[in-house]
Amino acid sequence: MNLYAYCLSDDVAAGAVEDVAGVAGASPRLVERAGISAVVSECGDEKIAVTRENVMAHERVVRRVLAGTTPLPFRFGTIVTEARLASYLDSRQGTLKAQLERVRGAIEMSVKVIWKPVERGGGEDETAGEVAGGSGTKFLLKKRRELLGESARRERAEEVGGWLARAVEGFVRESRVELQPSENLILAASHLVERARLADYRAALGRAKMERPELQFLTSGAWPPYSFTSVGP
Amino acid sequence: MADEELELLGEESELSLLETLDHVLNRGLVIAGEITIAVADIDLIFIGLNVLVSSVETAHEVLRERGEPVASEE
Repeated sequence: MNLYAYCLSDDVAAGAVEDVAGVAGASPRLVERAGISAVVSECGDEKIAVTRENVMAHERVVRRVLAGTTPLPFRFGTIVTEARLASYLDSRQGTLKAQLERVRGAIEMSVKVIWKPVERGGGEDETAGEVAGGSGTKFLLKKRRELLGESARRERAEEVGGWLARAVEGFVRESRVELQPSENLILAASHLVERARLADYRAALGRAKMERPELQFLTSGAWPPYSFTSVGP
Repeated sequence: MADEELELLGEESELSLLETLDHVLNRGLVIAGEITIAVADIDLIFIGLNVLVSSVETAHEVLRERGEPVASEE
């Protein structure tokens, strides 16, 4: 039998998730092994489609656990046999318990900083500085402009990343920052914040936003600590 | 409520879904070789995130120019 895996916890109460509708409408339950509980539900052999309904079901179950304690969430679509899950928990018991300790009492907050349209172009006007020359010369000039633009964007992202790290220093337990994760974003930061300090963190971030009116922010949370689940090789 | 605000709320709702997708599809514990999902939609989702960020950005600018509060996901 296959199991759909939602999250791991060493502190989830028995019966905490049984009344929540899981992926494909299945009822979640706990599988305990090596002092760790895996929240799972039964599923068939078919692949799990990335649909709004399935994604929300996954998140709903993990959030139910998050309401009582901080779990280690599995990535969406994790399907294992019970034997494979038991083997995983046995072989990773130490690192998983250390990771659960690392996120205990905390939640994840997300900050995305967005490029302004004028900066997104990444360089000089394509028509500026046109010079006489063949298509090869024009191509090289265009590439040069693109490289200069990319370099400037990278420097800008690094500056914003450093500034944001200083702004929330003392309010976050850990941070994960990805510079320029997509065309529209300067950076995407994930902050592990102690629940008791969430109000202080939000206030610090609010003050920071006021300092930089030229930047645009997309903030969300609280999340289960999806970005803080690394347990090494 | 003005039409623009209704549209923005709609986008915020979609944004909430896309932020959820960003977390549940990109991050989280992985048991080697055990992710089993139908992947056909994933590229579209991330293209969607890029487009949506642009549209929310535009909506925020409109609200800011009108002196109205800009919603956040918190």
